[in-house]
Amino acid sequence: MTKNNTLSILALAISGALLGGCGDAETNIIEKDPIVDDHDHDGGGEHDHDDLTIESAGRLAILNADANALVIVDLDDNQELDTFPLASEGNTLTHSGGYRYVVVSNRATGEVTFIDGGLWREDHVDHLHDYEQVPATSDLTLTGSRPTHLVKHDGQLAVFYDGDSDAGLPASVQVVSDTHIAAESSAIPTLAYTVNMHGVAEPMDDYLIATVRRDDAESTSANTILPDSVGVFHLHDDEYEEEVVFAGECPDLHGAASSETYSVFGCSDGVLIVHQHDGEWESSKIDNTDSLSSVRVGSVYGHHHGDYFIGVASGHGGGEATLVTIDPETNSMRDVALELGDDAVPVSYAFSYSGEYFVVLDSSGRLTALHSHGEGDAQHWDTEVSLAVTSGSAADMPDGLSFTMAVSGNSDHVYISNPIDKTMVRVDLDSGVIDGEVSLDYLAETVIWLGIAETEHE
Amino acid sequence: MRQKYLAVAVCCALQVPTVAAETISGTVLDDKGVPVTGAVLRVEQSSTRVKTNESGEFSINSVKPGTYSVHVMAPGFGHLHQDIVVDDGRHFTVDFVLTPSSIEVIDILATPIHLSVMESASPVSVLSGETLRRQQAGTLGDSLEKLPGVQSNFHGNVASTPIIRGLSGPRVLVTQNGLDVSDVSRVGPDHAVASEASTSQQIEVLRGPATLFFGSGAIGGVVNVVDGRVPSDNTTRGEWTLEADSVNDQKLAAVNATTGAGNLGFYIDGYWRETDDYDTPVAPDNDEEGQNAPHVVKNSASDSNGITLGTSYISDNGYVGIALERFNREYGIPGHSHGGEEAEEEVYADLSQTKVQILGEYSFNHTLLQRVQFKAGHTSYEHAEIEQDVTGTLFENDTDELRVSLMHQPLAGWNGGVSLHYKTSDVAAVGEEAFTPPSTADMFAIGIMEEQRFGNVLVQLGARVERVTLDAANTLLPAIAAHDHDEEDDDDHDHDHDHDDEHSDETTVTRVFDVSQEFTPVSFSAGVVWDFTEGYNVGLSVSRAQRAPSASELLSFGPHIGTRTYEVGALFALTGDEESALGLSQQAVDLETSNNIDLTLRKTTGDIGFVLNAFYNQVDNYYFQSETGLFAESGHDHDHGDEHDHDAEDEHDHDSELPVYLFSSHDAVLHGFEAQAAWQVNAEFNAQFFADYVRAKLKDGGDLPRTPPLRTGLQLNYQTESISAHIDVTRYHKQDDIAEYETETNGYTLVDAFVSYDLNVLSQDVSVYLKGTNLTDTEARVHSSFLKDLAPRPGRSIGVGLRGYF
Repeated sequence: MTKNNTLSILALAISGALLGGCGDAETNIIEKDPIVDDHDHDGGGEHDHDDLTIESAGRLAILNADANALVIVDLDDNQELDTFPLASEGNTLTHSGGYRYVVVSNRATGEVTFIDGGLWREDHVDHLHDYEQVPATSDLTLTGSRPTHLVKHDGQLAVFYDGDSDAGLPASVQVVSDTHIAAESSAIPTLAYTVNMHGVAEPMDDYLIATVRRDDAESTSANTILPDSVGVFHLHDDEYEEEVVFAGECPDLHGAASSETYSVFGCSDGVLIVHQHDGEWESSKIDNTDSLSSVRVGSVYGHHHGDYFIGVASGHGGGEATLVTIDPETNSMRDVALELGDDAVPVSYAFSYSGEYFVVLDSSGRLTALHSHGEGDAQHWDTEVSLAVTSGSAADMPDGLSFTMAVSGNSDHVYISNPIDKTMVRVDLDSGVIDGEVSLDYLAETVIWLGIAETEHE
Repeated sequence: MRQKYLAVAVCCALQVPTVAAETISGTVLDDKGVPVTGAVLRVEQSSTRVKTNESGEFSINSVKPGTYSVHVMAPGFGHLHQDIVVDDGRHFTVDFVLTPSSIEVIDILATPIHLSVMESASPVSVLSGETLRRQQAGTLGDSLEKLPGVQSNFHGNVASTPIIRGLSGPRVLVTQNGLDVSDVSRVGPDHAVASEASTSQQIEVLRGPATLFFGSGAIGGVVNVVDGRVPSDNTTRGEWTLEADSVNDQKLAAVNATTGAGNLGFYIDGYWRETDDYDTPVAPDNDEEGQNAPHVVKNSASDSNGITLGTSYISDNGYVGIALERFNREYGIPGHSHGGEEAEEEVYADLSQTKVQILGEYSFNHTLLQRVQFKAGHTSYEHAEIEQDVTGTLFENDTDELRVSLMHQPLAGWNGGVSLHYKTSDVAAVGEEAFTPPSTADMFAIGIMEEQRFGNVLVQLGARVERVTLDAANTLLPAIAAHDHDEEDDDDHDHDHDHDDEHSDETTVTRVFDVSQEFTPVSFSAGVVWDFTEGYNVGLSVSRAQRAPSASELLSFGPHIGTRTYEVGALFALTGDEESALGLSQQAVDLETSNNIDLTLRKTTGDIGFVLNAFYNQVDNYYFQSETGLFAESGHDHDHGDEHDHDAEDEHDHDSELPVYLFSSHDAVLHGFEAQAAWQVNAEFNAQFFADYVRAKLKDGGDLPRTPPLRTGLQLNYQTESISAHIDVTRYHKQDDIAEYETETNGYTLVDAFVSYDLNVLSQDVSVYLKGTNLTDTEARVHSSFLKDLAPRPGRSIGVGLRGYF
């Protein structure tokens, strides 16, 4: 279970306790390697106790497109640990709130299942205890109608079930932490709606900032399946109860992200910011920039420790994209210059684990990493890394596949699957070079990073 | 009242056989010659049980020639044991005459040999029938606390375990049908016992050392919850209850039913209980100023349910069956606040258990072997403590147990047998409150019990030897920053309990040990019961019992939120070193040995009866926790995410420190008495009196903590065919024999009343009842409770209920 060696360096044997010749007690104590904690601030956040901790680059869960099976790979030695065939096609894969599990969500079957990556950390008060075990399927299955948006924030995962108006099924949200999944808890915090919607929910401690669909007659949305309101819900006995609703403030709401303080939602006319101030929940709105005349922010990216967000405006289903930075502190939005490969469109976006980089992977296999400079109003994002991960032509991309990436949860590395060359490469964002590459004997469709996440001090 | 195998000539008349058949028939009568309806006759050499009809008549068929002991039991009468000899091809008619008893006598089912309140050398009590239904509560300790010698460690209505003669925790074993209940209730007072009274048929208490039958965990006694989950007969019967109570808005529904056909028996029970936070006569927190504080114990609500299914194969010679139980309970943990005056954290426990039991008994017509009793169980227990809807700690206990008792035919007049017992438990706690490392305990034991009657004297002897191993591969000794509060007052309240700050730039080392222990406890006991004159007996029991200390007593190292202490096991000791205040103990880990003498005087028959027990229990190497004067970080913060959140840090400011309690062993002496007397005034009125007292001291001076006070009680009962009324007045006296860090607890008097009326609805027996508890709405703080200052007993409560039998 633990990684510490069982080499004994001292053997103490205490025996004895013979009571009047009857009854016997014998104790053998073998001292093992101690756990030494040197308390260096090496980016371990406040979790820099090295007691029983494991130094590991983590694991990757790679979807083998041909076999529709998840392959779990140990990044320390690039060994395949196990393969898990998936029951259904058309899954959405992501990691759990604490990076321990792969979350397999299927909109068609309504099931959300979990595969334990086998690497996790527990806080045992006096020490942190890391565990390294073989990957395994979890017995927990969440079910609902059309699970669609899966949002991870601060250790929690919110599964938004869109519901189905044809079947008369309303939308709902379930929020699980890794501890819930480990305990296979039946008590899952849930928000139940009365109508269906294509919505999204952001977990914030024991609050849930979630979309609210009003009556179609009242709705400011052009497409009323998209909600136009945001509500704050508070958890009581496994159920989220409404605290406040910001009604009609976000027409055609799509896309959301949260930092420690703010939640940002994409609307057709700008972005809506929700945050708590002096115990009261407040909302504010940032209008679209001029460059967003024909498109709107439909995806938002944030970092727990960042006080800025990046919004992506593009036509539905991808294609060319305009990036904007969103600063809730100054209530401002500004355009970000992004240069992609020839004829390329972005296929994936993410913040790096430290929040220092915002990475964009495009359809030509080019990774662009933006780095923030300055502070407040003077803050701007510049391209710091621009790197092609393949020399092949995008035209050679096997049908139905694309480049995909996963950012590490404990270092500024990005793992990119390259189906053209059947490789997986690792890019070090700090040095801007590819510092690792392995060949795969299958076509990778999705890649997920799993392991013991670290957060860097601000 | 009669002793085992006591043949009383006046009570029975062996008549001349008339018909050639292997049948015993006859009538059970009372001492005035009135037939006794519903008396149960059990032939001990087989598993045959029959009941008398309305004329008091019975018939036992298919009896082979031989010598039989017949055991006759009926409510309101003393038990009768009578030997009869059946010759070849004869039909016996035999009448049994029962003598009324003012104290109810019910046999214990926990042990393979018969024990009852009036008949055994060591003291036992049984709660069953209407009395059980009247006294059953949501938690086990509270259900039993009106029994002499048993008190509750009352934990805010949500959890409680019985304290027997001042002993509890790892010294009192809780069993279900004779098999370990296998939960984590022995580890913390906030952990509920995974057993339910409302579906049980009787609850038995063995006071004093019972290691002979149950092993290490039973040095202070045993509580056995009995239900009919594996039916030994398939007569269709059942019982249901619906009840509502005012003080906590309790709603209870419980049902159990037994039926069957041919050789098969079936059983089902289920219950559902929901309670809200309970009301108190005063502000629950002793420290809370003013009368404006609400008189409610916050976070004391609970929600539990369970279902048990069982089936058995029943033959003339015995039965064997299997039962499956699912038990769920969710309850708030009151007083579980870490923020002091700040808003209490809603911490609750969610426990579930799956229990499989295989029980059987088979009688032989063999020259040596008379009867085999077989019990096997598998339990899988899980208990999550949830804070802010995140599992903080997860306790798990997986136990397998097997117990086989082989009872021999009388050998030179001795009745008894050999018992083989195996148990293995994996106990783990994961998360914030994981103060005990994962461990595996294995136990194998062999025991022998024998008894024989020599004239007026019954002799009971027993011995048992066990082998217990306890293995914990990763026992941790962290270098905690334990410190004395007096020395660093201001500074202490400023630091923000971030571990970084506390040990800044230091290197700390957590030592890791692979601990394996092997214990060989040996227990033996000898007892005599002497019927020195008609209707009286005196019993003397001398025992020496040994116990292996439990994993939590030895290996703990960490914060125990339930008791708000930082627990350190006996494997460790204070070093006196400033760098690391605690190190490995150099003292050997010894067995705990109890040397117990029990003296009992009983008046067994007549309108006035009594049972007086006195005991003296000297315990060598008594393991207990004592305060070290040090304080350590609980490290318990409520932010379970990846990062500290600033709010959490502010909130947990300076309240996250816990006093360090260290387990160590010292010799202790516990002595005391229990008294029970009953007066059957006439056919309707019965008055009962009881008192109990225990003094628990260390041999070197000082009292043990949380020792229940002297208690006296009076119960008045009125019973007609359709009305049953009871008034209970119990006085808990002031406790001022206190341990160093304890405070005195005031005495209080509880008044409870109960009245029920029997109806016949749709040819079913239904009673409607009204009950009142704590009628004077008095402030009652329980000295033996960890929550004495935070959660007094509930205030006045009125309950109504319906109970039916079919």
